[in-house]
Amino acid sequence: MVIWLAAAIGLGLLLSVARAAREPLDDPDPAWQRPGFVDAGDLPVPAPAVAPGLPAPSRPTVVFFERTGRLPRLCRVFAASGLPDKATATAVVVDGAGTHSCEGADAVVNDADGALAAAYGMRRPRGGGTPVGYAVVDSAGAIRYRTLDPAVADELSEVRTILDALP
Amino acid sequence: MTAANPAVQPTPALRVCLWCVVAVLAEVGLYASYRGHDARFHWFTHFFVGAAAALVVMAAVAARIRRPVPLPLVWPFLAHVMAMFPDFLFAGGVAHEPWMDLFLGHISTHFMPGRNLTWFVVFLLALAAYLAVVARFPAADDR
Repeated sequence: MVIWLAAAIGLGLLLSVARAAREPLDDPDPAWQRPGFVDAGDLPVPAPAVAPGLPAPSRPTVVFFERTGRLPRLCRVFAASGLPDKATATAVVVDGAGTHSCEGADAVVNDADGALAAAYGMRRPRGGGTPVGYAVVDSAGAIRYRTLDPAVADELSEVRTILDALP
Repeated sequence: MTAANPAVQPTPALRVCLWCVVAVLAEVGLYASYRGHDARFHWFTHFFVGAAAALVVMAAVAARIRRPVPLPLVWPFLAHVMAMFPDFLFAGGVAHEPWMDLFLGHISTHFMPGRNLTWFVVFLLALAAYLAVVARFPAADDR
């Protein structure tokens, strides 16, 4: 009996700590962060244009949403991850103005006012500001997956998993 | 040298505590199996759902055999493994699909109103049910 009660109290404390430890770039509702399956919620929906030819008409497109200061790290890991590749178009949407480059990405687009992120239905992070995450668009131009993911640079293999799950 | 003194044999309560250590280590291993910083949310959901399901089964079994179930901490652990099984597949590159709800509602349990707080309450209710059942039996140290 004592062991079970101690476990229940301990789990309650751990749950409180876990809820308090969420980070500003996380989704306010963790259920919508990295759900792991396509067509969650109201998806699929048509994907707005990000740049000329993007989303690509005949192949899947991954649209990354990133903050300007974090962009170099994301672009550095592109090469090591095997994504982007020839079978997948890639656009990076950054929240700042100015000219940015990202080796391997088909386009880097400024979205200082967050309008593009809103058009993609990206959720607002817990701490406010523009989202950090990605949307996966299928070859028919429909958004099939979107999530906030502040650790996306460490988890690009997960993007590949979602791409492989597209019908 | 003398033979081992029966007086220092582990008591039932101590045996359960050894199982506690094993269970905690196993759960730490399950937590570590998640990549990424938001593992906490997923771990808690599947733990509470799995453990609650296990406790309901444990209560039913205990009522039938009229004593506490053997190895009580193993049941919630195994149910937790079952509930999070699709996450092992995901780590291997298999995305989630609706049919994975067969694993104790692996997909839909995340969207329960109240999220993990609700599942914590469900877990507590299931635990209370199990403890209420085993409290009816004598010599129930091994609960």
